[in-house]
Amino acid sequence: MRLFRLFLALVVVIPAATARAQHVPADSAKTDSSRVVEMSPIVVTATRSEKALEDVALPTTVVLAETMRMQGAVRLSDVLVAVPGLALFDDHGAGLQVQGFAPEYTLILLDGEPVIGRTAGTLDLNRLTVQGLDRIEIVRGPSSSLYGSEALAGVVNLVTAPAAEGFRGALGGRFGSFGTTDLTVEAEAGREQGGARLFFNRYASEGYDLTPASFGATSPAFTDWTADWRSRLALSDRVLLRLGARATVEDQESAFALRADGVEVRYDDEGRRIDWSLHPEARIRLSDRLRLTTTLYGARYQTETRYRRQRDGVLTYEDDFDQRYLKAEAQFDAIWSRRHFTSLGGGAARERLGGARYGPDADGERPAANQGYAFAQHEWLPLRLLEVSASARFDAHSDYAARLTPKIALLVRPADNLRFRASVGSGFKAPAFRQFYLAFANAAAGYSVFGATRLQEGVARLQAEGAIDQLFINPAALEEIRAENSVAFNIGGSVEPFSRLAFSVNAFHNNVRDLIETQPIARKTNGQFVFGYFNLARIYTRGVEADATIRAAAGRQHRLDIALGYQLLQARDREVVEALETGTVFGRDPSGREYRLGLGDYGGMFGRSPHTATFRAAYAHAPLGLTASVRGRWRSRYGYRDLDGNALANRDDEFVMAYAVFDATVTKSVPAPGSADAEVQLGVDNALDVTRPALVPSLPGRRLYVSLRLTL
Amino acid sequence: MKTLVACSLFTGFVLLFAGCDSADPEPEPVLLNVKMAENIPADPVSGRDPDTGASISNNLFTLYDLEAGSILIPSSQTDAATRQRDSASTAWDIGFRGTTIIFNGGTSGPGEAAAQLLAQPFAEVTEAPEGGYVADGENASCPEVSTPVGPVPGSPYAICTGSDNGWYNYNPGTMLLLPVPGRTIMLRTASGNYAKMRILSYYQNNPNPPDASVPSRYYTFEYVLQPDGSRDLASE
Repeated sequence: MRLFRLFLALVVVIPAATARAQHVPADSAKTDSSRVVEMSPIVVTATRSEKALEDVALPTTVVLAETMRMQGAVRLSDVLVAVPGLALFDDHGAGLQVQGFAPEYTLILLDGEPVIGRTAGTLDLNRLTVQGLDRIEIVRGPSSSLYGSEALAGVVNLVTAPAAEGFRGALGGRFGSFGTTDLTVEAEAGREQGGARLFFNRYASEGYDLTPASFGATSPAFTDWTADWRSRLALSDRVLLRLGARATVEDQESAFALRADGVEVRYDDEGRRIDWSLHPEARIRLSDRLRLTTTLYGARYQTETRYRRQRDGVLTYEDDFDQRYLKAEAQFDAIWSRRHFTSLGGGAARERLGGARYGPDADGERPAANQGYAFAQHEWLPLRLLEVSASARFDAHSDYAARLTPKIALLVRPADNLRFRASVGSGFKAPAFRQFYLAFANAAAGYSVFGATRLQEGVARLQAEGAIDQLFINPAALEEIRAENSVAFNIGGSVEPFSRLAFSVNAFHNNVRDLIETQPIARKTNGQFVFGYFNLARIYTRGVEADATIRAAAGRQHRLDIALGYQLLQARDREVVEALETGTVFGRDPSGREYRLGLGDYGGMFGRSPHTATFRAAYAHAPLGLTASVRGRWRSRYGYRDLDGNALANRDDEFVMAYAVFDATVTKSVPAPGSADAEVQLGVDNALDVTRPALVPSLPGRRLYVSLRLTL
Repeated sequence: MKTLVACSLFTGFVLLFAGCDSADPEPEPVLLNVKMAENIPADPVSGRDPDTGASISNNLFTLYDLEAGSILIPSSQTDAATRQRDSASTAWDIGFRGTTIIFNGGTSGPGEAAAQLLAQPFAEVTEAPEGGYVADGENASCPEVSTPVGPVPGSPYAICTGSDNGWYNYNPGTMLLLPVPGRTIMLRTASGNYAKMRILSYYQNNPNPPDASVPSRYYTFEYVLQPDGSRDLASE
């Protein structure tokens, strides 16, 4: 019933409605400031259609623009680090860890379309400004049945704010430690039929150095520019056109030293990144019960890296990377009755790569892949208190085996303040570019590595050169490489025992197979191996996420909200677990003593803290126009290296010690001339000045900042 | 020593009335020494290719005499006649080249040497197993190279080659090559004596913690050798 009303409201209202239509609560009677959950925001990510957050059957978190502003966030990493159950992971940039998965298993979307450009699997969260966003939606657990590859651990969707009616201009600046500045100029104009918003953002830092004893900065100096355009135009009450465009450029400069034959050689490191995306979309209301959304999406991501030897300025290394992505998609949303709602969609995507590492194959063809897919989702309300949603997606790809990815989710609401959620679904991740297209020979060490599409020709070439001593398997006999895939279970619920208190909990278990690893496929005459990529490893991650929100004070003039979050996590490699159970794994302490390890000694996969906790307090004082926010996050120790040869973290010196980081901000609105609004914010990140030099490069100690914002 | 003297004196007095433990005929076991071999070169980098800058080495073994505790031929010895003469003798027991370890027997030399790898800590091995030793070239049980179309046999060295197959683990992320803990190499020397050994480091001067930027292919290992032909390996 609610679903029907909501859907009807959205289908009918959206094309003609003002931009903020999405904020209309599903049931306006629910807006109540004495309740900790004042109203349930509308979210779009979990089901690819609008739905009230509390009625989504998957564990979903929303961070609203207002919260981001109050917390002084400027980049996506600033927002996600404060969300319970999420952790950041330093590996070629700030990556996101969801339910214990490495960053390459989480899909990052901008208005529902994938952000491209990953290095070693990590999409650097510092690339994305939070300017212009309405909210960020985080869905945990696999959503590959709707989104395909990468949505194995979760999906993060950055949803932009549509241009509101009237005219608005805004200027914002933030100035902080390490010469970090963030400047924004924004203009927005809209009427009922259409509107547009444009902003420019410049984000820059002078970098910092946590290890002064060694040459080179920990974090480089950089300047990042973003230009973003979002517009909407209602052609009629049935057709709504939207256009989104974004371009970013980043320049960075750094220096580092390498040791060669005992001598330190210093290099300058220059990097440039250019990426852009274009996203036109048409929403057509075909009838009262049928809506069509057609989308085109194009994106390009380029990087240039140059190393110059300081001594003589000689260019010693250059690497360029170029990725292009083009996608066309159509989605039908149909409401059959009050109890049945279907989405059907399909599309095609083409991806092309360029750059030194991804050279043309023997026929001179540059790496390119084509993909076609179709998905379907049906939501059914057999009873008022029960909602079932089933979805599936079929993906056919030119370079890996086709696959079908199903999922089913259940929501039970026995009472207004109680929800149970359960889902079983599959997730997958396509092989990475290197696993497809790499053709690499290490001149110094003498080994070779070939991606799946290059293996056959690479081995044939080495054979022709007489460089193969023994071929273990004929590459022609190999099966097609498969996507890495998982089966995941999520079960949990939420309850508001009192109006000022809300709890939610979710237990998850992800069973992952076919993880891709290198294995030798031939021995070369120099004694080294030729490696290929194969589906081999199996892991599991499981745990519990829980959070509690308390409205500690709810006066007419002021209010105080406190939120606590906790996550228990176990991320384990099955092969390691089996070896530990058979008793063949030992440790060796620095004095040389050896001891047998049991399952209890296994610190889990590297980079995963078994326990993490978050704390947030937000205070607002209306008469003074003042808000204050304090955030804390703690993570227990986590393994990061092996020193005793058993390939796992078991010794104290193989772990990063537990640490807690506290951030705080105070924001106050100040008098401004005319109709303008002005706001001043003071903030401190990492107030206790915690650092883990060389281990956690993204933790630069205490940072202070001040920011000003003027809205006309 | 003092205890022994005291016990002897005491024995003199009370021998008629009671026995003394040390008077029992069973001899004290002779504890063997743990010998240490440090920085044994295993074909380290000997130069750089002038064109590519790639490191090059001699591709030769260092042959080591465990009984004498010394190197017979280093990998830096490139004179073919010298190498031929010495390697064809039984004066060496074990050879090192990169991560490959050979024993003087089977396909590697004229001696009786053979070896096996035990999944047991070095300190806990007090007796050499009776059987299970294989000579180089005779090891049919090396972990095969696993491939999607089935296993492919590994090299038949007594100590299997490859990461996690034999004595070491290589981590491509940290680029560290580390001996697997709890693995003890049990061997028979070229002249048939039993010994146990474990490798401590593959890097010059055994850096602690291990450091991949230190020159590699330098073995530090410790071993216990029983010279009397028995399998008893109790050590200090």
